[in-house]
Amino acid sequence: MERRFKINDIDVKARAGEHLLDVARRYGFEIPSLCHHEALPPIGACRICLVEVAWGGRRELCTSCNFEVIEGMQVTTDTPAVQHHRAMNLELLLARAPGSARLRELAAQYGVRRTRFGPPATSPLPNCILCELCVRACEQLGNHALTMVGRGDKKRIGLAFNSPSEQCTGCASCASVCPTECIPVKDTAAGRTIWGQTHPLVLCKVCGAPVMTERQRAKAIAKKGLPEEYYDFCESCKQSTASKRFASIVW
Amino acid sequence: MARRGRLVIKPDRCTGCRTCELACAFVHSTGGLLGLSRIRIREAGAGPEGDRHLQMTCLQCIEAACVKVCPVDALVRNEDTGAIEVSERCIGCGLCAVVCPFGHMHFDRMLGRPIKCDLCGGAPTCAAFCPHGALEVR
Ligand code: SF4
Ligand code: SF4
Ligand code: FES
Repeated sequence: MERRFKINDIDVKARAGEHLLDVARRYGFEIPSLCHHEALPPIGACRICLVEVAWGGRRELCTSCNFEVIEGMQVTTDTPAVQHHRAMNLELLLARAPGSARLRELAAQYGVRRTRFGPPATSPLPNCILCELCVRACEQLGNHALTMVGRGDKKRIGLAFNSPSEQCTGCASCASVCPTECIPVKDTAAGRTIWGQTHPLVLCKVCGAPVMTERQRAKAIAKKGLPEEYYDFCESCKQSTASKRFASIVW
Repeated sequence: MARRGRLVIKPDRCTGCRTCELACAFVHSTGGLLGLSRIRIREAGAGPEGDRHLQMTCLQCIEAACVKVCPVDALVRNEDTGAIEVSERCIGCGLCAVVCPFGHMHFDRMLGRPIKCDLCGGAPTCAAFCPHGALEVR
C-alpha cells in the first residue's frame, strides 16, 4: 500500500509502515539523528530527529525515526520549534557525553557550545547517551549479550546479570555502531577485551596475525555454512596466496 | 539493465608504479591514505622483461562469500555497475573481510567499516589514472 504526503510542501510517496526519517532521507531532506541505524529497529531514544507533523487537525513534534507515515500528513523538517527542541535535547545529551566529538559538532550546529546541566551522578560508561544502539545491534546478531539495567538516573547499559557474558562473541559491533564511540575495545596479543572479558583470538595460519575471536568463528561457522577454512587466514596472507595463484594463470 | 562496463585488469602491462593505489586512496579518503586504497599492487616475481606485478582488487563475485556472511544484508549489488557496495546497514562486525577468499576486503578497525572496491559508481578512477593501460573499463 502506498502513502502520499508532503515534506516541506513537496509531494512524496512511501510504502505503508515505512518510517518518516527513512522516507525523508530518500528524498534528500536533511534530518540529524544519533540513535538511528538503517539495519536496526528504531526506538526514538535521542530525540534529535524531531520534525513537525500535521494531520487531521493536529500538529505535533514527533521523532521521525520511529514515526510510521500517514496518508495526507504535512511534515516540516525545520521549524523554529523543531530547532528549539533539538537544541535543548542536544544540550541535555551533551551533559551525558561531553567527550563525543560527533555530538559536540552537531550541538554546535544548533548554537549549543556549553551545557547548563551536570553530568550523571553515576556513569559506569562515560559518554554513553543510553540510545541502545549497541543493545539493538547485539540483538540483531542473535547474541543478546547486552541489556538496559536499572531505572531512572541509575539506568545504564550493561550485561545481563552483570557478569561476563557467555553470549558475547567479542565481535565489537556494539562499539562500531555506538554514536559516541564510548564502548572500550582493546586488542592485544592476549586477545580482545570488551565488556569485562578477554576473548581468545583465531590467528592467521600463515603469519599469526589476529583474524577474529574464537567465539565469533564458532558462531559464524555454525550459522553461515561457509567452509571452515574461510575463517583461517588474515586479509594480507589471503591476498598474497591469491596473487600467486593468479600469477600462475597469467604467466 | 545493461551494465556500464567492466574493470579489466592486464597484469602484463603493469609496471608496479602504484598510481592506481594513489588515485583510489584519494577519491575514497580525505588525504589519500594509501592504506585505504581498494586496489593493491602485489609483486609477482621476476619475468624476462623485469619484475612482474599484479593488480589485486575486488572481483565482485557472483556468489560472494561476503554477501553470504553479512548478518544484516549490508552488502548490496548495484545492478547498474555490478559492484557489491557497503551500505549504511553495516554494523561493523567484520565478518565479510574475514571470509573473502581473496583478501580483497579490508576491515578498518578505526572506521569500524569494511573497505572494498565499489567501481566508483561505474567509472573506476584507478583505470582513468593508470598511465600504462594496465587497467581498462570495457
Ligand atoms: S561485542 Fe559482544 S556485546 Fe558487543 S555486539 Fe558483539 S556480541 Fe554483542
Ligand atoms: S562488517 Fe558490515 S558489511 Fe561486513 S559483514 Fe559485518 S555488517 Fe556486513
Ligand atoms: S534518531 Fe530518532 S530519536 Fe534518535
